[in-house]
Amino acid sequence: MTQLAFPDLTLALPEIFLAAAAMVLLMLGVFSRESAAARTVSYASILVLLFTIVMVGLVTDGRAVTFGGTFIVDTFAVYMKALVLLSAAAAILMSREYLETNKIFRFEFPVLVVLAALGMLMMISANDLIALYLGIELQSLSLYVIASFQRDSSRSAEAGLKYFVLGALASGLLLYGMSLVYGFSGSTGFDALAKLFHGDAEHGVPLGVTIGIVFIIAGLAFKVSAVPFHMWTPDVYEGAPTPVTALFAVAPKIAAMALFIRIMVGPFGDLSDQWQQVIIFISVASMLLGAFAAINQTNIKRLMAYSSIGNMGYALIGLAAAGHSGDAEISASGVEGMLVYLAIYMFMNIGTFACILLMRRQGRHVEDISALAGLGKSNPALALALGIFMFSMAGIPPLAGFLGKLYVFQAAIRAELFTLAIIGVLASVVAAFYYLRIVKIMYFDAPEEEFDGPVSFEMKSILVVSSIFILFFILLPVPLLDSAAAATASLFN
Amino acid sequence: MYLAAVFLPLIGAIIAGVLAFAKHGAEDRGPGLDRAAQWVTSGAMLLAAVAAIFALMDIVSGGNTQAVEIFTWIDSGSLEFSWELRSDTLSIVMVTMVTVVSSMIHVYSIGYMGHDPGIPRFMGYLSLFTFFMLMLVSANNLVQLFFGWEGVGLASYLLIGFWYDRPAANAAAIKAFVVNRVGDFGFALGIFATFMLFDSVSFDTIFGLAGEKAGATMQVFGGEFHALTVICLLLFVGAMGKSAQLGLHTWLPDAMEGPTPVSALIHAATMVTAGVFMVARLSPLFEQSEIALNVVVIVGASTAIFAATIGCVQNDIKRVIAYSTMSQLGYMFFALGVSAYSAGMFHLITHAFFKALLFLGAGSVIHAMSDEQDMRKMGGLYKLIPVTYVLMWIGSLALAGIWPFAGFFSKDIVLEAAFAANTGVGQYAFWLGIVAAFLTAFYSWRLLIMTFHGTSRADEVTLAHVHESPKVMLIPLAVLALGAIFAGFALFTFFVGEAAPEFWGNSLFVLESHKALEDAHHVPLWVKFAPLVVGLAGILLAYVMYMFAPDLPKALASGFARTYRFVLNKWYFDELYDILFVRPAFVLGRGFWKSGDGDLIDGVGPDGIAAAVRDIARRAGAVQSGYLYHYAFAMLLGIAGLVTWFLVVGG
Amino acid sequence: MIVQALAFYLFAIMTVAAAVMVVSARNPVHSVLFLILAFFNSAALFVLLGAEFLAMILVVVYVGAVAVLFMFVVMMLDISFAELREGFLQYLPLGGIIGLILLLELAIVLGGFVFSPEASEHFAAPIPKGGAVSNTEALGEIIYTNYVYFFEAAGMILLVAMIGAIVLTHRTRSGVHKQRISDQINRRPEDTVEVKDVPTGSGI
Repeated sequence: MTQLAFPDLTLALPEIFLAAAAMVLLMLGVFSRESAAARTVSYASILVLLFTIVMVGLVTDGRAVTFGGTFIVDTFAVYMKALVLLSAAAAILMSREYLETNKIFRFEFPVLVVLAALGMLMMISANDLIALYLGIELQSLSLYVIASFQRDSSRSAEAGLKYFVLGALASGLLLYGMSLVYGFSGSTGFDALAKLFHGDAEHGVPLGVTIGIVFIIAGLAFKVSAVPFHMWTPDVYEGAPTPVTALFAVAPKIAAMALFIRIMVGPFGDLSDQWQQVIIFISVASMLLGAFAAINQTNIKRLMAYSSIGNMGYALIGLAAAGHSGDAEISASGVEGMLVYLAIYMFMNIGTFACILLMRRQGRHVEDISALAGLGKSNPALALALGIFMFSMAGIPPLAGFLGKLYVFQAAIRAELFTLAIIGVLASVVAAFYYLRIVKIMYFDAPEEEFDGPVSFEMKSILVVSSIFILFFILLPVPLLDSAAAATASLFN
Repeated sequence: MYLAAVFLPLIGAIIAGVLAFAKHGAEDRGPGLDRAAQWVTSGAMLLAAVAAIFALMDIVSGGNTQAVEIFTWIDSGSLEFSWELRSDTLSIVMVTMVTVVSSMIHVYSIGYMGHDPGIPRFMGYLSLFTFFMLMLVSANNLVQLFFGWEGVGLASYLLIGFWYDRPAANAAAIKAFVVNRVGDFGFALGIFATFMLFDSVSFDTIFGLAGEKAGATMQVFGGEFHALTVICLLLFVGAMGKSAQLGLHTWLPDAMEGPTPVSALIHAATMVTAGVFMVARLSPLFEQSEIALNVVVIVGASTAIFAATIGCVQNDIKRVIAYSTMSQLGYMFFALGVSAYSAGMFHLITHAFFKALLFLGAGSVIHAMSDEQDMRKMGGLYKLIPVTYVLMWIGSLALAGIWPFAGFFSKDIVLEAAFAANTGVGQYAFWLGIVAAFLTAFYSWRLLIMTFHGTSRADEVTLAHVHESPKVMLIPLAVLALGAIFAGFALFTFFVGEAAPEFWGNSLFVLESHKALEDAHHVPLWVKFAPLVVGLAGILLAYVMYMFAPDLPKALASGFARTYRFVLNKWYFDELYDILFVRPAFVLGRGFWKSGDGDLIDGVGPDGIAAAVRDIARRAGAVQSGYLYHYAFAMLLGIAGLVTWFLVVGG
Repeated sequence: MIVQALAFYLFAIMTVAAAVMVVSARNPVHSVLFLILAFFNSAALFVLLGAEFLAMILVVVYVGAVAVLFMFVVMMLDISFAELREGFLQYLPLGGIIGLILLLELAIVLGGFVFSPEASEHFAAPIPKGGAVSNTEALGEIIYTNYVYFFEAAGMILLVAMIGAIVLTHRTRSGVHKQRISDQINRRPEDTVEVKDVPTGSGI
């Protein structure tokens, strides 16, 4: 047995830092006095996450692998990690008020979010099926716990349990798919798989690999809550504490999408004929279900659950376009559209959830859509912000949400997936109904009791930043588009 | 001059319109604004009338000059025409008549509509109508003619429905509009066909080519037809609608729901004669089609007698005059049909004066009787409103064609021309015309006697309020009365006498072979006297029946109950149309609305989609049962489905 | 070799049979016991493969810790499995059909399985030739050097599991008296005992 060289750790420095910081924060929380600990740990973890973004940005230099090829760092990973870390930080920032009101403000919450973020970073950098699985599990386990963080509420506990059981099932599917792929190809590393399948499009691959890919897609589809693996989403979104829902809606979705992209265009890139159909199917199903099922919802968190199902459907359009065999440029445009879409999606969701978190009445959080009635009069600024987010989600120009949809639809059209694009447009018309209904309720319905004030500085800043992004993205889209293009380019080289 | 005559009314209309809007906001300044509107519009109209008279003299003396081009309207491929004012005798005669009569009616309206809340609006409509009418008569191409044609239709609609709070007025307005639409449809088709045949819609071009194209044919519904006949008949359908000829006449009596000045201006003097004018204007086309001319004669003559019979039994003072108008329009048409265009035009001009006079006189009566229109509730008014009485006499004498009033000259020449045409349809027209003349005299005096003589049948309150109209109403009446007396006498020479060829210039076109007008001067003596004789006979009969033996009409009515009812109900035209067109249209419309639009388009379209969306939404929500094993099962179902798909389809 | 084969089939059949019993046993305690049996047989299979370290770990960790913990849990929580199985029949037909379809499909997929030509080389890998490296040493090499990333990641997952378990279950109950040893030790007589001079004869 040859002596193996110890792997290069520098590439994984952000992850190592995050892991160490999580443990330090944990200690800090445990050994300081109960009352002040939560707040300190909370702010410290935000700083940690933000600092990690800086580190992520510094580490990269093109494309590099370590840990025996199981861990990859490239521009794509940097882009995705930045989004994930940013949304995790925003989620923690938004959580304080809610957790305090509900008397569950404990230091474990930010620590678990940091650990979940660590899992997501590992997912994004995964270059091996096992690394992928470990990342997913680290992330999921943290999320299961914080879903039931409000452990005295049966809804929260139920949400955590459902998420856990179904997540375990999904993990099983994923593992099964991975084992099929490994069994029929003899490798778990992405690079090795890519080499193995290269040029296999013509003479075909073993059926086992194809079916394995289907199982892997199913497992990942569960994580992005795409139909038909979405069933947990509405219940968990509704049951989990709202800041947790805010986190769920954004960070894990982005991480899972990153994984989706990496695995589909990476090792299985040459097998796109096999998986494009599946992606198209789940994309269409997600868009339609997201559009239709949300219509009758009365709980705004549930509504957002269906909204995110639909949004994932739109994002998957980009992936379907990326499955265009033959022209790498078209595939790249699909991925690029997806990346832009996800960034915009992140801002819209964080903003919307900030608004939802401000729906407080007499010290309690309300979640009924009807509670928004008359917000246009009682709190014009908040109503304006929420209105901007809703219009953006509905895809109304010139807001950012419109451009996000535009890019993925364009990619679909370039990839000649006309039916997909048309269904997408139709679904967004139906979806516009419930987004605009919220605007209608805010501005045209008889006012209800006002929400509690005052709005804290954290919330204000989140609302201002995200609404400015949504409003003015169209004026200066180049930085984001350029980064997305660079990220995509690193993936296709 | 010419431009001023045409565009002054438009300026007046715009100012009145602005005033109407201004009044809307400020009721306290209402009277001032009313006054301003009256003065501006009337002043503009009077100026326009003066300008028109100067223009008339100018054009007639200077020979028919070139058209006045305003600017290019449409220039698209071979379709090219401008806004132009045609300066020939026919146009300028009409312009003069329209402006003069219209200005009189404007002035009259100051008094008649003095108490109406919507004075600026009314005056504005009136001026707007006049502008459209002038656009129509001064058109130098078919499209501009059509513009004016539709414009007067619109103004007529607005004015009939002026009292929009009256259901009857609204219904009448809609009826007028819809019936005219039938005619306009024919007119529009005629324009298209003209463009198809001549590749132009400008009169100069069309008239120049009319002779060349006399033998041309065109395909209609698979058959070959004489092109000009087709065109002329289509255009004549338009004329029938506008001029209320038999078949498309039903709107005119109902249009009497509008204010009386409107009836006088639009439904007696000007708009309804647009059809006559149009046929005269297009004489170069009609001349090339014998069939079309014959149709014109038959329709005209039939209308003349048809309307006259109904006029004899109507009790509403305005309706009697309305049927009389129809009848006289019939005269004009059969004159045109026998190629006596100038005779038709002559009758048109004289008729404009005496019919406007009659209407305004009737208006004066109605005004005096506190808006009572039923002659059965009048009587014995001659002592109370003597001036009106005299003026009505003048109008009736002119209408009945008694020498030396205007109607005598024009009706005479029309009938003589019909006789002189020496054709079957000419004879048909002549004899029917004679009978109609008899009936005309009869119902005119029936009207006079029932209104002014005998014992009063009005209630005392009304009687106590009876008063002579103010001067502002009587002076226009007097002016029109002058026209009714002297127009025939004065214009005979120019229109149909020795000076006629020079007067008309080349604005009317008659084939060499059509010599009816020429021969009209050489008809047997009895023909010349027949109209006068039957007129006098009619008057006499009216005196007998309504003055000396008042029971006779009643006896006749019960004796010939069936005939009486038939005539009283206007030959059941309204009922017939109701069954033939209105009800099927309603059934069809309701069908399209309920099943076509409601069930099919809405049902499948917006409503259906919305319902389907809601339904799907409900179902999609219902799937979310909350049970963990359902969710897990759904996931397994999904994976099983995907794998199966791959094995069956993909593998 | 025949002995080896016989032993393999014996242990393999025992493992599968025990696993089936785990699922089908009516009494949950029996289930856990069958689980332990399955673990033991698996350990024996490892030994047959020459992976003695894994075999020991399996026995120590799974039998010694996990299974015992299971036993505690099962005995402490009075779980009625009969209740859990309620509705089982109701969903059996549809679920069975789906399961059957999936099973058939996977059979088709696995029907196409072939060992790659290089497979035999890999099989030899667990036992390094010539006894140069011990089993334990080889594992250590792989885990702590080659797959250190996976190992650490797994460690993080366990940490999360630990935190999660505490977060979700641990609570400080109010109204419960607990022994605080440090308090007891730090207690001084002055804090608790007051010495009073009581004049004799006057009573309290």
